[in-house]
Amino acid sequence: MIALENLREKLGVAEPWVESHGAHWMNPGSASVRQVAKAMNAAGARFVTITAYELPADTGFRLEYHWDLQGWLLGVPFQIAGKSPDSAKSDSANHESAKIDSIVDLCEAADWIEREVHEGFAIDFTGREYVPLMLKPGDKPGVNLRVAPEQDEPASCPQGQQEVAK
Amino acid sequence: MSYKIPMGPYHPGLEEPYKLDMICEGETVVDAELNIGFNFRGIEHLAETRNYVQVIALMERVCGICSFIHTLTLCQAMEKLTGLEAPPRAQYIRVVMAELERLHSHVLWAGIAAKLMGFKTMFMTCFALREKVMDVLQAISGNRVNYSMNHVGGVNRDIEDPIALVPMIDELEREMMRTVIPIFTTSSTARSRCAGIGVLTREQAISCAVVGPTARASGISQDLRRDAPYAAYAEMKFEVPVEQAGDVRARLFVRALEIIESCNILRQALARMAPGEISSAGEKLVFASGTATSRVEAPRGEVLYSVTWKENSRNPARVHVRTPTFANMPAVRWMVRGARLADTPLIQASIDPCYSCTDR
Repeated sequence: MIALENLREKLGVAEPWVESHGAHWMNPGSASVRQVAKAMNAAGARFVTITAYELPADTGFRLEYHWDLQGWLLGVPFQIAGKSPDSAKSDSANHESAKIDSIVDLCEAADWIEREVHEGFAIDFTGREYVPLMLKPGDKPGVNLRVAPEQDEPASCPQGQQEVAK
Repeated sequence: MSYKIPMGPYHPGLEEPYKLDMICEGETVVDAELNIGFNFRGIEHLAETRNYVQVIALMERVCGICSFIHTLTLCQAMEKLTGLEAPPRAQYIRVVMAELERLHSHVLWAGIAAKLMGFKTMFMTCFALREKVMDVLQAISGNRVNYSMNHVGGVNRDIEDPIALVPMIDELEREMMRTVIPIFTTSSTARSRCAGIGVLTREQAISCAVVGPTARASGISQDLRRDAPYAAYAEMKFEVPVEQAGDVRARLFVRALEIIESCNILRQALARMAPGEISSAGEKLVFASGTATSRVEAPRGEVLYSVTWKENSRNPARVHVRTPTFANMPAVRWMVRGARLADTPLIQASIDPCYSCTDR
Protein backbone atom coordinates (compact mmCIF):
# COMPACT_ATOMS: atom_id res chain seq x y z
CA MET A 1 0.00 0.00 0.00
CA ILE A 2 3.03 2.29 0.32
CA ALA A 3 3.11 2.74 -3.44
CA LEU A 4 -0.51 3.89 -3.44
CA GLU A 5 0.11 6.41 -0.66
CA ASN A 6 3.17 7.74 -2.46
CA LEU A 7 1.05 8.30 -5.55
CA ARG A 8 -1.56 10.19 -3.57
CA GLU A 9 1.04 12.40 -1.88
CA LYS A 10 2.78 13.11 -5.17
CA LEU A 11 -0.48 14.34 -6.68
CA GLY A 12 -1.37 16.38 -3.60
CA VAL A 13 -4.63 14.47 -3.11
CA ALA A 14 -6.01 14.72 0.43
CA GLU A 15 -8.69 12.02 0.27
CA PRO A 16 -7.47 8.46 0.89
CA TRP A 17 -7.76 5.62 -1.59
CA VAL A 18 -11.05 3.79 -1.29
CA GLU A 19 -11.35 0.10 -2.14
CA SER A 20 -14.67 -0.64 -3.75
CA HIS A 21 -15.97 -3.58 -5.80
CA GLY A 22 -12.64 -4.75 -7.19
CA ALA A 23 -10.64 -1.54 -7.57
CA HIS A 24 -8.85 1.07 -5.49
CA TRP A 25 -10.32 4.49 -6.25
CA MET A 26 -8.77 7.91 -5.88
CA ASN A 27 -10.63 11.16 -6.30
CA PRO A 28 -8.05 13.22 -8.20
CA GLY A 29 -9.33 16.54 -6.84
CA SER A 30 -7.62 19.32 -8.75
CA ALA A 31 -5.03 17.02 -10.36
CA SER A 32 -5.39 16.79 -14.14
CA VAL A 33 -5.47 13.55 -16.07
CA ARG A 34 -2.02 14.33 -17.45
CA GLN A 35 -0.61 14.81 -13.94
CA VAL A 36 -2.14 11.50 -12.91
CA ALA A 37 -0.71 9.77 -16.00
CA LYS A 38 2.77 11.16 -15.28
CA ALA A 39 2.57 9.99 -11.66
CA MET A 40 1.43 6.53 -12.77
CA ASN A 41 4.32 6.33 -15.24
CA ALA A 42 6.78 7.33 -12.51
CA ALA A 43 5.34 4.65 -10.20
CA GLY A 44 5.67 1.99 -12.91
CA ALA A 45 1.94 1.41 -13.18
CA ARG A 46 0.56 -0.30 -16.31
CA PHE A 47 -2.25 1.46 -18.15
CA VAL A 48 -5.32 -0.75 -18.48
CA THR A 49 -8.24 1.13 -20.00
CA ILE A 50 -10.67 4.04 -19.92
CA THR A 51 -14.36 3.40 -19.27
CA ALA A 52 -16.72 6.13 -20.43
CA TYR A 53 -20.20 6.76 -19.03
CA GLU A 54 -22.77 9.14 -20.35
CA LEU A 55 -24.33 10.93 -17.38
CA PRO A 56 -28.06 11.64 -17.30
CA ALA A 57 -29.71 14.91 -18.27
CA ASP A 58 -26.82 16.28 -20.28
CA THR A 59 -24.63 16.66 -17.21
CA GLY A 60 -21.67 15.39 -19.17
CA PHE A 61 -19.56 12.27 -19.00
CA ARG A 62 -17.60 10.31 -16.46
CA LEU A 63 -14.31 8.80 -17.58
CA GLU A 64 -12.72 6.17 -15.37
CA TYR A 65 -9.02 5.67 -16.03
CA HIS A 66 -7.60 2.36 -14.87
CA TRP A 67 -4.01 1.39 -14.17
CA ASP A 68 -2.49 -1.74 -12.66
CA LEU A 69 0.13 -1.34 -9.97
CA GLN A 70 1.63 -4.53 -8.52
CA GLY A 71 -1.62 -6.42 -9.12
CA TRP A 72 -3.87 -3.69 -7.69
CA LEU A 73 -6.40 -2.24 -10.07
CA LEU A 74 -6.43 1.53 -9.65
CA GLY A 75 -9.33 3.72 -10.72
CA VAL A 76 -9.24 7.48 -11.17
CA PRO A 77 -12.52 9.09 -12.27
CA PHE A 78 -12.83 12.38 -14.11
CA GLN A 79 -16.14 14.09 -14.74
CA ILE A 80 -16.32 16.33 -17.76
CA ALA A 81 -19.03 18.67 -18.91
CA GLY A 82 -20.50 18.46 -22.35
CA LYS A 83 -23.71 17.80 -24.20
CA SER A 84 -24.25 15.02 -26.62
CA PRO A 85 -24.66 16.09 -30.25
CA ASP A 86 -28.22 14.70 -30.16
CA SER A 87 -29.32 17.12 -27.44
CA ALA A 88 -27.65 19.97 -29.26
CA LYS A 89 -30.14 19.73 -32.12
CA SER A 90 -32.54 22.08 -30.34
CA ASP A 91 -29.82 24.43 -29.17
CA SER A 92 -26.94 24.14 -31.55
CA ALA A 93 -25.48 27.53 -30.55
CA ASN A 94 -24.73 26.23 -27.07
CA HIS A 95 -23.40 22.88 -28.19
CA GLU A 96 -19.89 22.16 -27.16
CA SER A 97 -18.46 18.67 -27.21
CA ALA A 98 -16.98 17.24 -24.05
CA LYS A 99 -13.21 17.67 -23.82
CA ILE A 100 -10.38 16.20 -21.82
CA ASP A 101 -6.63 16.22 -22.36
CA SER A 102 -5.19 13.30 -24.27
CA ILE A 103 -2.51 11.24 -22.50
CA VAL A 104 -1.27 9.45 -25.61
CA ASP A 105 2.05 11.30 -25.62
CA LEU A 106 2.61 10.11 -22.04
CA CYS A 107 1.06 6.68 -22.42
CA GLU A 108 1.16 5.05 -25.85
CA ALA A 109 -1.18 2.31 -24.63
CA ALA A 110 -4.06 4.80 -24.31
CA ASP A 111 -4.15 5.38 -28.08
CA TRP A 112 -6.79 2.85 -29.14
CA ILE A 113 -9.12 3.37 -26.18
CA GLU A 114 -9.04 7.18 -26.60
CA ARG A 115 -9.97 6.69 -30.24
CA GLU A 116 -12.72 4.24 -29.30
CA VAL A 117 -14.18 6.55 -26.63
CA HIS A 118 -14.04 9.46 -29.07
CA GLU A 119 -15.93 7.44 -31.66
CA GLY A 120 -18.42 6.01 -29.18
CA PHE A 121 -19.17 9.09 -27.07
CA ALA A 122 -17.97 12.03 -29.22
CA ILE A 123 -15.57 13.09 -26.47
CA ASP A 124 -12.66 15.13 -27.75
CA PHE A 125 -9.26 14.16 -26.35
CA THR A 126 -7.38 17.39 -26.95
CA GLY A 127 -3.81 17.53 -28.14
CA ARG A 128 -3.87 14.52 -30.41
CA GLU A 129 -4.73 13.64 -33.97
CA TYR A 130 -7.43 11.13 -34.77
CA VAL A 131 -7.24 8.31 -37.20
CA PRO A 132 -10.53 6.38 -37.36
CA LEU A 133 -10.37 3.17 -35.34
CA MET A 134 -13.78 1.55 -35.79
CA LEU A 135 -15.67 4.18 -37.76
CA LYS A 136 -16.07 3.67 -41.45
CA PRO A 137 -16.46 6.42 -44.08
CA GLY A 138 -19.70 8.34 -43.47
CA ASP A 139 -19.95 7.44 -39.76
CA LYS A 140 -19.85 10.21 -37.17
CA PRO A 141 -18.42 10.10 -33.63
CA GLY A 142 -21.01 9.39 -30.95
CA VAL A 143 -22.35 6.03 -32.12
CA ASN A 144 -22.81 4.79 -28.52
CA LEU A 145 -24.68 7.84 -27.24
CA ARG A 146 -28.21 7.32 -26.04
CA VAL A 147 -30.86 8.22 -28.55
CA ALA A 148 -34.40 9.50 -28.12
CA PRO A 149 -36.69 6.93 -26.41
CA GLU A 150 -38.80 6.27 -29.49
CA GLN A 151 -35.64 5.18 -31.30
CA ASP A 152 -34.39 3.05 -28.43
CA GLU A 153 -35.91 -0.21 -29.60
CA PRO A 154 -35.21 -1.34 -33.12
CA ALA A 155 -38.33 -2.02 -35.13
CA SER A 156 -37.14 -5.54 -35.89
CA CYS A 157 -36.90 -6.47 -32.19
CA PRO A 158 -39.36 -9.36 -31.57
CA GLN A 159 -42.27 -8.58 -29.23
CA GLY A 160 -41.09 -11.00 -26.56
CA GLN A 161 -37.62 -9.51 -26.48
CA GLN A 162 -39.03 -5.98 -26.27
CA GLU A 163 -40.89 -6.96 -23.12
CA VAL A 164 -37.78 -8.49 -21.58
CA ALA A 165 -35.63 -5.55 -22.59
CA LYS A 166 -37.91 -3.22 -20.64
CA MET B 1 10.80 3.59 -53.29
CA SER B 2 8.25 2.50 -50.70
CA TYR B 3 4.95 0.83 -51.53
CA LYS B 4 1.95 -0.33 -49.54
CA ILE B 5 0.86 -3.96 -49.28
CA PRO B 6 -2.65 -4.40 -47.84
CA MET B 7 -3.32 -7.55 -45.86
CA GLY B 8 -7.02 -7.88 -45.16
CA PRO B 9 -9.70 -6.84 -44.40
CA TYR B 10 -10.06 -10.58 -43.98
CA HIS B 11 -6.77 -12.07 -42.97
CA PRO B 12 -6.03 -14.99 -45.31
CA GLY B 13 -4.22 -17.07 -42.71
CA LEU B 14 -5.98 -16.23 -39.47
CA GLU B 15 -9.43 -15.79 -41.03
CA GLU B 16 -9.95 -12.71 -38.91
CA PRO B 17 -11.56 -9.42 -39.97
CA TYR B 18 -8.87 -6.79 -39.77
CA LYS B 19 -6.62 -5.00 -42.19
CA LEU B 20 -2.92 -4.37 -41.91
CA ASP B 21 -1.44 -2.01 -44.48
CA MET B 22 2.28 -2.59 -44.61
CA ILE B 23 4.58 0.05 -46.00
CA CYS B 24 7.51 -1.78 -47.55
CA GLU B 25 10.85 -0.99 -49.06
CA GLY B 26 11.77 -4.00 -51.13
CA GLU B 27 10.96 -7.05 -49.01
CA THR B 28 11.33 -5.15 -45.74
CA VAL B 29 8.40 -3.69 -43.81
CA VAL B 30 9.20 -0.16 -42.61
CA ASP B 31 5.85 0.65 -40.99
CA ALA B 32 2.30 -0.62 -40.72
CA GLU B 33 -1.19 0.77 -40.26
CA LEU B 34 -3.92 -1.21 -38.53
CA ASN B 35 -7.61 -1.04 -39.30
CA ILE B 36 -10.25 -2.82 -37.22
CA GLY B 37 -14.01 -2.60 -36.72
CA PHE B 38 -15.12 -4.59 -39.77
CA ASN B 39 -17.35 -6.82 -37.63
CA PHE B 40 -18.22 -4.36 -34.86
CA ARG B 41 -21.27 -5.75 -33.06
CA GLY B 42 -22.07 -3.10 -30.41
CA ILE B 43 -22.27 -5.75 -27.68
CA GLU B 44 -21.51 -3.25 -24.88
CA HIS B 45 -24.47 -1.14 -25.96
CA LEU B 46 -26.67 -4.21 -26.46
CA ALA B 47 -25.83 -5.39 -22.92
CA GLU B 48 -27.72 -2.39 -21.53
CA THR B 49 -30.94 -3.84 -22.96
CA ARG B 50 -30.51 -7.29 -21.42
CA ASN B 51 -31.44 -8.40 -17.90
CA TYR B 52 -29.04 -10.08 -15.48
CA VAL B 53 -29.72 -13.55 -16.87
CA GLN B 54 -29.65 -12.61 -20.55
CA VAL B 55 -26.51 -10.47 -20.27
CA ILE B 56 -24.46 -13.55 -19.30
CA ALA B 57 -25.55 -15.40 -22.44
CA LEU B 58 -24.82 -12.28 -24.49
CA MET B 59 -21.30 -11.73 -23.13
CA GLU B 60 -20.51 -15.42 -23.66
CA ARG B 61 -20.70 -14.56 -27.37
CA VAL B 62 -17.95 -11.90 -27.18
CA CYS B 63 -15.42 -14.62 -27.98
CA GLY B 64 -15.83 -18.13 -29.32
CA ILE B 65 -12.64 -19.42 -27.74
CA CYS B 66 -12.65 -17.63 -24.36
CA SER B 67 -16.42 -17.78 -23.88
CA PHE B 68 -16.08 -19.16 -20.33
CA ILE B 69 -13.59 -16.46 -19.36
CA HIS B 70 -15.95 -13.69 -20.43
CA THR B 71 -18.86 -15.00 -18.37
CA LEU B 72 -16.52 -15.65 -15.43
CA THR B 73 -15.28 -12.06 -15.47
CA LEU B 74 -18.79 -10.68 -15.86
CA CYS B 75 -20.23 -12.89 -13.10
CA GLN B 76 -17.39 -11.97 -10.73
CA ALA B 77 -18.20 -8.28 -11.27
CA MET B 78 -21.94 -8.92 -10.81
CA GLU B 79 -21.23 -10.92 -7.65
CA LYS B 80 -19.51 -7.87 -6.19
CA LEU B 81 -22.66 -5.83 -6.80
CA THR B 82 -24.98 -8.45 -5.33
CA GLY B 83 -22.79 -9.38 -2.37
CA LEU B 84 -22.84 -13.02 -3.42
CA GLU B 85 -19.80 -15.25 -3.36
CA ALA B 86 -19.50 -18.48 -5.27
CA PRO B 87 -19.08 -21.52 -2.95
CA PRO B 88 -15.61 -23.16 -2.78
CA ARG B 89 -16.59 -26.04 -5.07
CA ALA B 90 -17.82 -23.62 -7.70
CA GLN B 91 -14.53 -21.71 -7.44
CA TYR B 92 -12.62 -24.94 -8.16
CA ILE B 93 -14.88 -25.76 -11.09
CA ARG B 94 -14.21 -22.27 -12.46
CA VAL B 95 -10.46 -22.93 -12.25
CA VAL B 96 -10.87 -26.26 -14.08
CA MET B 97 -12.91 -24.68 -16.87
CA ALA B 98 -10.58 -21.68 -17.18
CA GLU B 99 -7.50 -23.90 -17.50
CA LEU B 100 -9.17 -26.24 -20.00
CA GLU B 101 -10.06 -23.17 -22.03
CA ARG B 102 -6.42 -22.03 -21.84
CA LEU B 103 -5.30 -25.46 -23.10
CA HIS B 104 -7.88 -25.29 -25.88
CA SER B 105 -6.77 -21.80 -26.90
CA HIS B 106 -3.03 -22.52 -26.78
CA VAL B 107 -3.35 -25.78 -28.74
CA LEU B 108 -5.55 -24.12 -31.33
CA TRP B 109 -3.02 -21.29 -31.62
CA ALA B 110 -0.18 -23.81 -31.99
CA GLY B 111 -2.05 -25.44 -34.87
CA ILE B 112 -2.58 -22.15 -36.66
CA ALA B 113 1.03 -21.11 -36.07
CA ALA B 114 2.16 -24.46 -37.51
CA LYS B 115 0.00 -23.88 -40.58
CA LEU B 116 1.54 -20.44 -41.09
CA MET B 117 5.01 -21.95 -40.78
CA GLY B 118 4.14 -24.38 -43.54
CA PHE B 119 4.05 -27.26 -41.05
CA LYS B 120 0.77 -28.83 -42.14
CA THR B 121 1.17 -32.18 -40.38
CA MET B 122 1.73 -30.33 -37.11
CA PHE B 123 -1.44 -28.36 -37.75
CA MET B 124 -3.38 -31.64 -38.01
CA THR B 125 -1.74 -33.00 -34.85
CA CYS B 126 -2.64 -29.87 -32.88
CA PHE B 127 -6.22 -29.89 -34.05
CA ALA B 128 -6.57 -33.57 -33.16
CA LEU B 129 -5.35 -32.69 -29.66
CA ARG B 130 -7.74 -29.78 -29.51
CA GLU B 131 -10.56 -32.25 -30.11
CA LYS B 132 -9.49 -34.12 -26.99
CA VAL B 133 -9.53 -30.94 -24.92
CA MET B 134 -12.99 -30.16 -26.28
CA ASP B 135 -14.09 -33.67 -25.35
CA VAL B 136 -13.19 -32.93 -21.73
CA LEU B 137 -14.99 -29.58 -21.88
CA GLN B 138 -18.02 -31.35 -23.33
CA ALA B 139 -17.87 -34.04 -20.65
CA ILE B 140 -18.10 -31.32 -17.98
CA SER B 141 -20.46 -28.80 -19.53
CA GLY B 142 -22.32 -30.67 -22.25
CA ASN B 143 -21.12 -28.08 -24.76
CA ARG B 144 -18.08 -27.72 -26.97
CA VAL B 145 -17.90 -23.93 -27.52
CA ASN B 146 -20.26 -21.81 -25.41
CA TYR B 147 -20.32 -23.75 -22.15
CA SER B 148 -23.06 -21.89 -20.21
CA MET B 149 -21.26 -22.77 -16.99
CA ASN B 150 -21.40 -19.52 -15.02
CA HIS B 151 -24.17 -17.71 -13.24
CA VAL B 152 -24.05 -15.04 -10.58
CA GLY B 153 -23.10 -16.82 -7.36
CA GLY B 154 -21.77 -20.07 -8.79
CA VAL B 155 -21.76 -22.49 -11.68
CA ASN B 156 -24.56 -24.30 -13.49
CA ARG B 157 -23.09 -27.80 -13.58
CA ASP B 158 -21.13 -29.87 -11.12
CA ILE B 159 -18.16 -32.11 -11.88
CA GLU B 160 -19.55 -35.21 -10.24
CA ASP B 161 -16.39 -37.32 -10.41
CA PRO B 162 -13.37 -35.00 -10.69
CA ILE B 163 -10.81 -37.79 -10.32
CA ALA B 164 -12.23 -39.51 -13.41
CA LEU B 165 -11.03 -36.56 -15.48
CA VAL B 166 -7.40 -36.85 -14.31
CA PRO B 167 -6.46 -39.65 -16.80
CA MET B 168 -7.80 -37.47 -19.63
CA ILE B 169 -5.57 -34.61 -18.45
CA ASP B 170 -2.60 -36.98 -18.13
CA GLU B 171 -3.14 -38.24 -21.65
CA LEU B 172 -3.36 -34.70 -22.97
CA GLU B 173 -0.13 -33.77 -21.26
CA ARG B 174 1.64 -36.89 -22.55
CA GLU B 175 0.63 -36.02 -26.10
CA MET B 176 1.79 -32.44 -25.68
CA MET B 177 5.11 -33.52 -24.19
CA ARG B 178 5.64 -36.23 -26.81
CA THR B 179 4.83 -34.27 -29.96
CA VAL B 180 3.76 -30.63 -29.82
CA ILE B 181 6.21 -29.14 -27.35
CA PRO B 182 9.41 -30.92 -28.56
CA ILE B 183 8.70 -30.14 -32.20
CA PHE B 184 7.90 -26.49 -31.55
CA THR B 185 10.85 -25.95 -29.23
CA THR B 186 13.58 -28.00 -30.90
CA SER B 187 12.85 -28.47 -34.60
CA SER B 188 15.02 -26.54 -37.01
CA THR B 189 11.95 -25.56 -39.08
CA ALA B 190 10.26 -23.91 -36.13
CA ARG B 191 13.53 -22.26 -35.04
CA SER B 192 14.31 -20.86 -38.47
CA ARG B 193 10.80 -19.42 -38.86
CA CYS B 194 10.47 -18.02 -35.33
CA ALA B 195 13.83 -17.09 -33.81
CA GLY B 196 14.73 -13.41 -33.93
CA ILE B 197 11.63 -12.30 -35.84
CA GLY B 198 8.84 -10.01 -34.67
CA VAL B 199 10.82 -8.75 -31.71
CA LEU B 200 9.00 -6.66 -29.11
CA THR B 201 11.55 -5.38 -26.62
CA ARG B 202 10.77 -5.17 -22.92
CA GLU B 203 10.70 -1.35 -23.17
CA GLN B 204 8.25 -1.44 -26.09
CA ALA B 205 6.11 -4.02 -24.28
CA ILE B 206 5.92 -1.76 -21.21
CA SER B 207 5.11 1.27 -23.36
CA CYS B 208 2.33 -0.57 -25.21
CA ALA B 209 1.09 -2.14 -21.92
CA VAL B 210 0.74 -5.53 -23.59
CA VAL B 211 -0.69 -8.42 -21.60
CA GLY B 212 -0.61 -12.20 -21.32
CA PRO B 213 1.90 -14.42 -23.15
CA THR B 214 2.90 -11.44 -25.35
CA ALA B 215 4.09 -9.54 -22.26
CA ARG B 216 5.65 -12.59 -20.62
CA ALA B 217 7.64 -13.35 -23.79
CA SER B 218 9.14 -9.85 -23.56
CA GLY B 219 10.45 -10.34 -20.03
CA ILE B 220 7.47 -8.94 -18.09
CA SER B 221 6.39 -11.23 -15.29
CA GLN B 222 2.70 -10.48 -14.95
CA ASP B 223 -0.14 -12.93 -14.49
CA LEU B 224 -3.37 -12.09 -12.67
CA ARG B 225 -3.72 -15.69 -11.47
CA ARG B 226 -0.67 -15.02 -9.29
CA ASP B 227 -0.76 -11.22 -8.86
CA ALA B 228 -4.47 -10.75 -8.15
CA PRO B 229 -5.84 -14.27 -7.62
CA TYR B 230 -9.52 -14.96 -8.28
CA ALA B 231 -11.67 -18.12 -8.09
CA ALA B 232 -9.48 -20.76 -6.34
CA TYR B 233 -6.14 -19.71 -7.87
CA ALA B 234 -4.77 -18.59 -4.49
CA GLU B 235 -4.73 -22.28 -3.51
CA MET B 236 -2.90 -23.48 -6.63
CA LYS B 237 0.85 -23.84 -6.97
CA PHE B 238 2.20 -22.96 -10.39
CA GLU B 239 4.99 -21.13 -12.16
CA VAL B 240 4.59 -18.14 -14.47
CA PRO B 241 6.84 -18.78 -17.49
CA VAL B 242 8.77 -15.72 -18.64
CA GLU B 243 11.09 -15.43 -21.64
CA GLN B 244 13.38 -12.52 -22.41
CA ALA B 245 13.90 -12.59 -26.19
CA GLY B 246 10.59 -10.96 -27.15
CA ASP B 247 10.48 -12.74 -30.53
CA VAL B 248 7.97 -15.17 -32.01
CA ARG B 249 9.94 -18.12 -30.61
CA ALA B 250 9.73 -16.66 -27.08
CA ARG B 251 5.94 -16.34 -27.43
CA LEU B 252 5.84 -19.93 -28.59
CA PHE B 253 7.97 -21.08 -25.62
CA VAL B 254 5.81 -19.21 -23.12
CA ARG B 255 2.64 -20.84 -24.43
CA ALA B 256 4.28 -24.28 -24.52
CA LEU B 257 5.34 -23.93 -20.88
CA GLU B 258 1.90 -22.61 -19.96
CA ILE B 259 0.34 -25.76 -21.38
CA ILE B 260 2.35 -27.81 -18.88
CA GLU B 261 1.46 -25.43 -16.03
CA SER B 262 -2.21 -25.64 -16.97
CA CYS B 263 -2.07 -29.43 -16.73
CA ASN B 264 -0.47 -29.06 -13.26
CA ILE B 265 -3.18 -26.66 -12.12
CA LEU B 266 -5.90 -28.93 -13.51
CA ARG B 267 -4.58 -31.93 -11.58
CA GLN B 268 -4.41 -29.89 -8.36
CA ALA B 269 -7.93 -28.49 -8.81
CA LEU B 270 -9.44 -31.87 -9.64
CA ALA B 271 -7.69 -33.62 -6.75
CA ARG B 272 -8.55 -31.01 -4.11
CA MET B 273 -12.03 -30.07 -5.20
CA ALA B 274 -13.97 -29.09 -2.13
CA PRO B 275 -17.29 -30.84 -1.51
CA GLY B 276 -20.51 -28.91 -1.19
CA GLU B 277 -22.85 -26.67 -3.11
CA ILE B 278 -22.09 -25.18 -6.51
CA SER B 279 -24.22 -22.08 -6.15
CA SER B 280 -25.09 -19.52 -3.50
CA ALA B 281 -27.65 -17.67 -5.59
CA GLY B 282 -31.21 -17.27 -4.37
CA GLU B 283 -34.28 -16.95 -6.54
CA LYS B 284 -33.94 -13.24 -7.19
CA LEU B 285 -30.84 -11.11 -7.30
CA VAL B 286 -30.69 -7.68 -5.74
CA PHE B 287 -28.07 -5.36 -7.16
CA ALA B 288 -26.55 -2.43 -5.32
CA SER B 289 -26.03 0.80 -7.24
CA GLY B 290 -22.50 1.33 -8.37
CA THR B 291 -19.67 0.10 -10.52
CA ALA B 292 -17.77 -3.16 -10.05
CA THR B 293 -14.68 -4.24 -11.92
CA SER B 294 -13.29 -7.69 -12.39
CA ARG B 295 -10.19 -8.99 -14.11
CA VAL B 296 -9.27 -12.48 -15.24
CA GLU B 297 -6.17 -13.91 -16.92
CA ALA B 298 -7.57 -15.22 -20.19
CA PRO B 299 -5.40 -17.37 -22.51
CA ARG B 300 -4.41 -14.23 -24.45
CA GLY B 301 -3.99 -12.02 -21.38
CA GLU B 302 -5.95 -9.81 -19.05
CA VAL B 303 -9.70 -9.34 -19.59
CA LEU B 304 -11.38 -6.52 -17.68
CA TYR B 305 -15.09 -5.98 -17.15
CA SER B 306 -16.45 -2.81 -15.66
CA VAL B 307 -20.14 -3.24 -14.83
CA THR B 308 -22.43 -0.48 -13.58
CA TRP B 309 -25.85 -1.10 -12.11
CA LYS B 310 -28.63 1.11 -10.84
CA GLU B 311 -30.54 -0.16 -7.83
CA ASN B 312 -33.76 -2.06 -8.60
CA SER B 313 -32.88 -2.27 -12.28
CA ARG B 314 -32.95 -5.59 -14.07
CA ASN B 315 -30.48 -4.42 -16.71
CA PRO B 316 -26.92 -3.15 -16.35
CA ALA B 317 -26.50 0.58 -16.93
CA ARG B 318 -23.12 0.03 -18.57
CA VAL B 319 -20.84 -2.90 -19.38
CA HIS B 320 -17.35 -2.12 -20.59
CA VAL B 321 -15.05 -4.90 -21.79
CA ARG B 322 -11.31 -4.51 -22.33
CA THR B 323 -10.11 -7.59 -24.16
CA PRO B 324 -6.47 -8.73 -24.40
CA THR B 325 -6.19 -8.32 -28.17
CA PHE B 326 -7.30 -4.70 -27.80
CA ALA B 327 -4.19 -4.19 -25.64
CA ASN B 328 -1.83 -6.37 -27.66
CA MET B 329 -2.63 -5.57 -31.26
CA PRO B 330 -1.18 -2.02 -31.40
CA ALA B 331 2.20 -3.58 -30.54
CA VAL B 332 2.19 -5.50 -33.85
CA ARG B 333 3.22 -2.25 -35.52
CA TRP B 334 6.50 -2.44 -33.59
CA MET B 335 6.89 -6.16 -34.23
CA VAL B 336 6.63 -5.94 -38.02
CA ARG B 337 8.98 -2.97 -38.45
CA GLY B 338 12.14 -4.25 -40.08
CA ALA B 339 10.66 -7.71 -40.67
CA ARG B 340 10.57 -9.48 -44.01
CA LEU B 341 7.17 -9.31 -45.63
CA ALA B 342 6.93 -13.12 -45.71
CA ASP B 343 7.30 -13.27 -41.92
CA THR B 344 4.47 -10.86 -41.13
CA PRO B 345 1.56 -13.38 -41.10
CA LEU B 346 3.36 -15.42 -38.45
CA ILE B 347 4.30 -12.27 -36.50
CA GLN B 348 0.66 -11.19 -36.41
CA ALA B 349 -0.40 -14.68 -35.40
CA SER B 350 2.20 -14.78 -32.63
CA ILE B 351 0.10 -12.53 -30.38
CA ASP B 352 -2.86 -14.91 -30.92
CA PRO B 353 -5.16 -12.09 -32.02
CA CYS B 354 -8.91 -12.36 -31.62
CA TYR B 355 -10.98 -9.86 -33.54
CA SER B 356 -14.21 -11.33 -32.37
CA CYS B 357 -13.23 -9.92 -28.96
CA THR B 358 -11.77 -6.68 -30.29
CA ASP B 359 -14.82 -5.91 -32.44
CA ARG B 360 -17.11 -6.77 -29.53
